[in-house]
Amino acid sequence: MFVWNAEDLNADQVKAIEQPGSVFLTACPGSGKTRTLTYKIARELSLLTSDKQRVVAITYTHRAADEIQERIEQLGVDTTQLWIGTIHSFCLEWILRPYAIYHPELKHGFRVINAHDTERAHELLCSQHGGGLRIFDCGHYLTSAGYVISCPDWKRAKVEAVLQQYWAELRANRQIDFEMILDYAYQLVRDIPSIGILLGSIFATVLVDEYQDTKEIQYAILGAILKASNCKAKAFIVGDPNQAIYGSLGGYAITPAEFSTLSGASFTEMDLSVNYRSSDRIVTYFENYNQLTSKISAGGKHKTFVSAISYDYATHRTALVDEVVRLIRYNVETMGIVPGEVCIVGPQWLPLAGMTRQLMAALPDYSFSGPGMVPFARDIDNFWYKLSRIILTEASPQLYIRRSRWAGEVIAALDLADINTAAITRKSLLRASNAISSAETDGLKYLLECFDALSAALGIDRASSPMLVEHYDAFVEGSQRRLDRLVADGATAIAEVAMFRKVFNEKTGITVSTIHGVKGAEFEAVIAFGLLEGMVPHFNEGDKIAAANKLLYVICSRAKKNLHLISEAGRRRGQNNVYQPTDILLACSFGYDQIS
Amino acid sequence: MHISKLQLVNYRNFARATVKFEKGVNTIIGENGSGKTNLFRAIRLLLDDNLLRMAHRLDERDFHRGIGEWRGHWIIISLEFTDVSQDETIQSLFLHGAGNITAATVDRATYNLIFRPKAVIRQKLGELAAGDHAGLAALRSEMNLADYETIFTGKSSADFCNPKIYRSLVGDFDAVIFPNELTSPDIGGIVPGMFSIAREIGFTFVQALRDVVAEFQNNRTNPLLTLLKGKSGEIDPTAFAPISALVSNLNNAIEGLDDVRAIRTDIRDTITDAAGETYSPKSLSIRSDLSDEADRLFQSLKLFVGESEASYEGGIHELSLGGANLIYLTLKLLEFKYQKVKQTFANFLVVEEPEAHIHTHIQKTLFDRLKYDDTQIIYSTHSTHISEVSNVENINILGRDGGVCEVFQPAAGLDPGQIGNIQRYLDAVRSNLLFAKSVLLVEGDAEEILVPILIKHVFGLSLDELGISLINIRSTGFENVGVLFHDLRIRKNCAIITDLDLAFIDLAPDPLDSDAKIKAKKRALGSQTSGAARSIRLNSFCHGNAWLTAHFAHHTFEVDFILAGNSAAVVSVLNDVYTDAGTIAQAKADLESGDIARYGARVLTMAKQVGKGWFAIILGKAITPDVHLPNYLLSALFSAHRPISVETLASILEHRLKVQLESGLVSLPQIDAMSDHVGRFRRGEIDFDAVRAEMLKAFPGDRINTVLATL
Repeated sequence: MFVWNAEDLNADQVKAIEQPGSVFLTACPGSGKTRTLTYKIARELSLLTSDKQRVVAITYTHRAADEIQERIEQLGVDTTQLWIGTIHSFCLEWILRPYAIYHPELKHGFRVINAHDTERAHELLCSQHGGGLRIFDCGHYLTSAGYVISCPDWKRAKVEAVLQQYWAELRANRQIDFEMILDYAYQLVRDIPSIGILLGSIFATVLVDEYQDTKEIQYAILGAILKASNCKAKAFIVGDPNQAIYGSLGGYAITPAEFSTLSGASFTEMDLSVNYRSSDRIVTYFENYNQLTSKISAGGKHKTFVSAISYDYATHRTALVDEVVRLIRYNVETMGIVPGEVCIVGPQWLPLAGMTRQLMAALPDYSFSGPGMVPFARDIDNFWYKLSRIILTEASPQLYIRRSRWAGEVIAALDLADINTAAITRKSLLRASNAISSAETDGLKYLLECFDALSAALGIDRASSPMLVEHYDAFVEGSQRRLDRLVADGATAIAEVAMFRKVFNEKTGITVSTIHGVKGAEFEAVIAFGLLEGMVPHFNEGDKIAAANKLLYVICSRAKKNLHLISEAGRRRGQNNVYQPTDILLACSFGYDQIS
Repeated sequence: MHISKLQLVNYRNFARATVKFEKGVNTIIGENGSGKTNLFRAIRLLLDDNLLRMAHRLDERDFHRGIGEWRGHWIIISLEFTDVSQDETIQSLFLHGAGNITAATVDRATYNLIFRPKAVIRQKLGELAAGDHAGLAALRSEMNLADYETIFTGKSSADFCNPKIYRSLVGDFDAVIFPNELTSPDIGGIVPGMFSIAREIGFTFVQALRDVVAEFQNNRTNPLLTLLKGKSGEIDPTAFAPISALVSNLNNAIEGLDDVRAIRTDIRDTITDAAGETYSPKSLSIRSDLSDEADRLFQSLKLFVGESEASYEGGIHELSLGGANLIYLTLKLLEFKYQKVKQTFANFLVVEEPEAHIHTHIQKTLFDRLKYDDTQIIYSTHSTHISEVSNVENINILGRDGGVCEVFQPAAGLDPGQIGNIQRYLDAVRSNLLFAKSVLLVEGDAEEILVPILIKHVFGLSLDELGISLINIRSTGFENVGVLFHDLRIRKNCAIITDLDLAFIDLAPDPLDSDAKIKAKKRALGSQTSGAARSIRLNSFCHGNAWLTAHFAHHTFEVDFILAGNSAAVVSVLNDVYTDAGTIAQAKADLESGDIARYGARVLTMAKQVGKGWFAIILGKAITPDVHLPNYLLSALFSAHRPISVETLASILEHRLKVQLESGLVSLPQIDAMSDHVGRFRRGEIDFDAVRAEMLKAFPGDRINTVLATL
């Protein structure tokens, strides 16, 4: 039985962890959601009575899965009976691969294409179909009943034609994209009841993190499995409806009652409403955007911190960088906050890479990590990307567990690629990688050189596996495109090995991120810009007020100490207009601080 | 759940074989070299977690030699399980990997090892134009083992042993037609490493080892150590801590002994004296090095057994071989029991030739008692004693024909009544027929005793040398056992030898007949009628079955023996049957009368006088190489034993030459001349017709000529 130190968890967290049966847990920002989930998984693992059962945890990102798994291992709990990963990996590993032979379109094998491939296919089709269609018009998601297209109505017919052709082409090539993974998984679970029955009895507990960003088809898949288990499999659903910011991709917070109908489980509804992250003042501020009835209170060590919260809608777009620089200096140099605890947030529609580079130029003594600064193709499912993680990190005790897991993933990928891995172990792989050295300073050349050396050391013939060749070409081409763009934008140093290595380093500098990218993260100081109606919320959103509330809620609740909001003036909208500040932000009355 | 089927395709000495298993105890029987070990190896490749991972990497020697060029072919080992249920939680993980879903349920599971060319090669094969033999040959010439992969699949639906299906999955090498699809759903879904099926079930393999003592002494194979680990998984470190402390104290105590310390000082002093301070080691100590690690310490555990007297317990090496084997098997069974405790829903105990371990009478008891729930036992044997205890429905027979092994299920397609009859007939002696290459079925002791003697004298070969088992049914219920020999079941020749029981006396009623005569006529008529009926019955039983023939004595064995021209032989044993001179004279006259009514009645009276079996033994002593073999026996013999090899024919001829030589009536050059012909025949320089003609020419009086004339 897994036990923990009394100070590890608070009473509400313990209650949620020890609650028998299925639980629906609403966890406010900073309430220790991940910690609760981690301990819950550890406890469920220790409660297993048979080695034939599994605990399954669905996370929103691979990174979250890695982090939780590492934390559980650090708690000293054996994770051999844990499966943790994204819903897409779940569908692939537990449904598509084992049961593909029962689906007429998958039975002769299939290949998963990544987001990059999808984008390129859309791009090509859009240009073929004409009519001014752009990639982002092709945004769509699948549901148990069909598909939803997010573009404006007048483009709908054209987008539908593009998508139909896209799907037909994939089918002809036996390829499936991420959305189709979900669709096929749903069809299999729906049409072949045995799958649900078997999975439902293998899984002792199914945990879902960030449920508010889960799609209807994902609920349908998990619901069907839980239902088939006849309540034998428990569910533990965690998230925060206030932070549901993926509505445009189909994500929404299901109600406990709806999910109960879908899954047959009866839920105990619980919540975690103490925020351990932020000061009282920050909590009071972001409560303005709380759309639920529950009240959140601060309870952490920063509770009494006298936060500076500012809102600026006067600064002109041209002075934005200077203003952000001023705020960074204020927080770091005046308030003594370390740069790693400062985050710059903007909506994903704005060129954040440009912002990062301008900041780098203005603050040469600071270091930054931001989007668009990763110099190679970051496709988590690409074999060579997986290998890069090992090549670009150094052997160190802190990284051992992580690198060992990465090595495991590389070996698993080799198996999938038809390479005989009988003679390769995690250790031998890491040892071979650590033994490689090169004086090459160009990052991509360095990587490719290491790929060859490591392949030779492990006796892998890349040419013998079509999958490895395909991934290799995609990796090289994708990386080259990225590098060319970055260098063209002026980031010449980016091509160096040091910059490549930085991608996997623990963060030390100031983070520049999209709003969606900071989900789950926390910083002492948060500086947000681009808070403009049409971006926050995006003009495509249906319920604009709700969407704006959620985005502001997410932004504001990241801050532990200081929060700075900017709706810069003068950003051009169309030919003759400029963007205006986000309505609800402007409407919010609060005693903002002046930063001088 | 249990294994219901094993299919082997192109694996070692199996071209394609289907072995069927039932719940409970199953027997694999077969002569040495018939593939028992390979069959077990195949099962272990799929289910034995102890087998090294390396073993799954097959090589060219694993390909069946009969396929010729192996490059491009697949090896398939396929297991089918039945009695599965998707509603049993404990089976779910297994069925997730291996369960075949039909409609809304999982009715069976399949788990296969497939050794095949990698996708790149399969793709190249698929791209060949139909009939492109040169292209295929070029591809194959470049292929090597590195181009092969081993995959495990579950949920397969293909009948791999069907040549048509094999061609559709792998390709048709003769027509050069290969599938364009690289992945066929029929071979099932690939079972990823994370679901090693072997870990889901319990599997214990007991090898037919010959040196148990060595096994006990080897730390890796010592079953005692395996048990200690298996009992609780790993050794509990907290429970072991005090022992470690004791060992550490013990080491200190030994090092602290006065004598030990004195020696250390003396060594040091001597070195210093001899080499001088400069060149001496700077420090030197004597350490007691008893290990305080559990693994190492446990190696000192030894089993002691008192075999014959309770007061003395000796080490394994002191036990008798049988005793050591019994202990070994017991420990293996215990290992198996421990495995069962660990929540496996299906357990498999595979024992190779238990007769190698223990005495046959213990074996019988053992397998009667080995009835654990959820446990399927499969063992191989060449002991008829064990096959006798097993159910004929649970038997697979391995037969070898040249380099190819075949598998027979002796009860396939039979109804429960027929199976019951077989079961009743198969006692320890008759079980022999399951092992035989060919079989003669006889109805009584006379045939059982005399047929082997007759054949030995005439042909100079024993039935064993001819690969024939002679089985005495002790009645005329031949069908009960004969039913085993059939296209569906045991595909080996079986000849039935029985009597037509034609009356040899005039059956017409005569008013002058005494009561006894009337009775005798009635009896003879009864026999004749039932004999005729039997012949109709048996002929129709054998009709259309290429493996089964029936052969009839016109009257009975003894009568037909004289009818064939052997009255002198019977006369020669008269003194062993009768003592009264008058009776002997009368009997001699009867036997030599040439009147079947007289000699027939006489020989039967004689047999009756001493008992048929004893009479046969007496008669056996009078058999010489010149005996006349009754034709029905001859035809039975060569129906069972066919085709007759050149080797056998040559041996027969050489035997006859020896007989001729021993008779002293022929000259040595005559023999040598004929010997040369036999030699040439043996080397294939002349054919059978030629050598037969030479024999007739050289020794026209030899009995064998009439036999050879029939071949």
